[in-house]
Amino acid sequence: MSAAIEFKSLYKWFGKRIAVNNVNLEIQPAEIFGLVGPNGAGKTTTMRMLVTLLKPDKGEIFVGGYSIAKQRNDVRRIIGFMPDSFGVYGDMTVSEYLDFFGACYKVNPHQRQKLISDLLDLVDLGPRRADMVDTLSTGLKQRLGLARVLIHDPQILVLDEPASGLDPRARVEIRELLLEIARLGKTILFSSHILADVAELCSRVGIIEAGKMVAVGTLSQLSEQVMPHRQVKIGLLARLPEAMALLAAMDGVRAVRELDGVKYAALEVDFIGGDEALGGLLSALLAQGLPVIHFSEATKNLEEVFMRTTKGIIS
Amino acid sequence: MRGWKGAILFIAYLTLLSFFVLSFYAAFAVEAQSSFSIENSQIAGKLIFGTVVVSELLMVSFIAPALTSGAFASERERQTFDLLKISLLSGLELVLGKLSAALSYLLLLAFAALPLEALAFLLGGVGLAEFLISTLMLFMTALFFCALGIFASSFSRRVIVSTVLVYGFNIISTFVFFLGIFLLAIFESASAASSQPNPLAASFFGSLLWFLFSTNSLFAAFASEALLVSENSLWLVNGGGIFGSMNAVLLSPWIIYVVVYALGSLFLILFSAYIVNRME
Repeated sequence: MSAAIEFKSLYKWFGKRIAVNNVNLEIQPAEIFGLVGPNGAGKTTTMRMLVTLLKPDKGEIFVGGYSIAKQRNDVRRIIGFMPDSFGVYGDMTVSEYLDFFGACYKVNPHQRQKLISDLLDLVDLGPRRADMVDTLSTGLKQRLGLARVLIHDPQILVLDEPASGLDPRARVEIRELLLEIARLGKTILFSSHILADVAELCSRVGIIEAGKMVAVGTLSQLSEQVMPHRQVKIGLLARLPEAMALLAAMDGVRAVRELDGVKYAALEVDFIGGDEALGGLLSALLAQGLPVIHFSEATKNLEEVFMRTTKGIIS
Repeated sequence: MRGWKGAILFIAYLTLLSFFVLSFYAAFAVEAQSSFSIENSQIAGKLIFGTVVVSELLMVSFIAPALTSGAFASERERQTFDLLKISLLSGLELVLGKLSAALSYLLLLAFAALPLEALAFLLGGVGLAEFLISTLMLFMTALFFCALGIFASSFSRRVIVSTVLVYGFNIISTFVFFLGIFLLAIFESASAASSQPNPLAASFFGSLLWFLFSTNSLFAAFASEALLVSENSLWLVNGGGIFGSMNAVLLSPWIIYVVVYALGSLFLILFSAYIVNRME
């Protein structure tokens, strides 16, 4: 199966500053791909090139097999884009707004009203269809933006910071909406600063910094790359030095550190090995009669991966 | 043009137009001070028609850029330009859409002025040719100034910038127009008055002067009307009758005006479409 989106040796300069630096990436159909990176990393520039708003200085992008340079209209037909900040026509009603964009995408006028009703139901804006767009809250405008993106039934959605500026409830609602849209079989590429959203939604993540794609993969793959060892937290009631000495001498243990800021005595152990070997650590401690009150493996989260991967460089 | 903005502009336009017509008609009635005659009625008819057409020409050239100078610049300010740009509409379709919105509003203004213009037909003195030529000139003026506004807004990021550009262009081009007329008139008269007049130079400067004059809406309207009345000539004019030393046939000013403004509009529309369409 050919990739839904394919970036090939992509470069973009703004004057002397390089904004996108040799990005190579493939996103498969029906995949939810998250693009994360610090401010100024090149996420928006990459997306704007993808949706045919910006011209790459070097390299090529294919969307559904179409070249953005040579088959712009074909690309626009199968792609929907929601910019990080977008305006609305305040003097239109919700329904008129979608009708207007339906006309811009040359959707059959006879099918448009039914389509608009379906989309408004999907984004839970059905009861607000006759309201002026200006009267909607930020969260509702964002939902209307998602309905607009879907008006021509594109196979690929490109969403730049779809949850930015939203309150926690609206954020959760947008996240659920994206999952619902993904269930329709759409390919979604979205960027976000909210790493928890990316971790929850995305099948794969790309970390971009200073215009370069520094890491790509599933969350567990990325964790493996940046943190090859397992991290175990052990809590003890007493006899901490004895436990440290015992653990340091065991196979697979790479480092043992005393943890501060915990209400009981605690250790952090970097460990390489399978689950059985991990169980062996606990057994050894208990066999020595050490008073273990806590034993858990730290979950690897995207935030930690992100912090370890990026250096805070702005292109 | 939803809401009060369009209605206010509409009312202001008709009020001004009615004021001009009433003022000229009142002045004529006071001047004539005689009982009804067909000749007087026809002069009154021409006066009313001329007042409406000239007022419309001036107001359209003032209103049209205001209607379109924000066409794309306001989309950029509102952050909706990108959404339009990535739709399936081509740059030309976007430009023509914006243009037709502004032109349809101006058409509404022109229709609203028809009852005032109809007074002239009631009094007589205005022929079909005059009506058709004035309508064509009015349309071309509206088209050109709308296209000019769209062109300025196609590359401006802010509405204020494109508005200043359009009106600045109007002021500068008027200044250049009068300067050009002045210089060409000097050359033409110097060439005609020399001891050995050169008919080729006289014809060249005369034609150029005529062309430049004809690009001004008021001159083109008045001169075309005068030539129609005095020489009954709708299409061609004998250059010798205007510039003594000239030996050439000239086109009636309204033809030059319509062709120049049509070509200018076409260029502005296509160039705007190119700018709107391009990837940055």
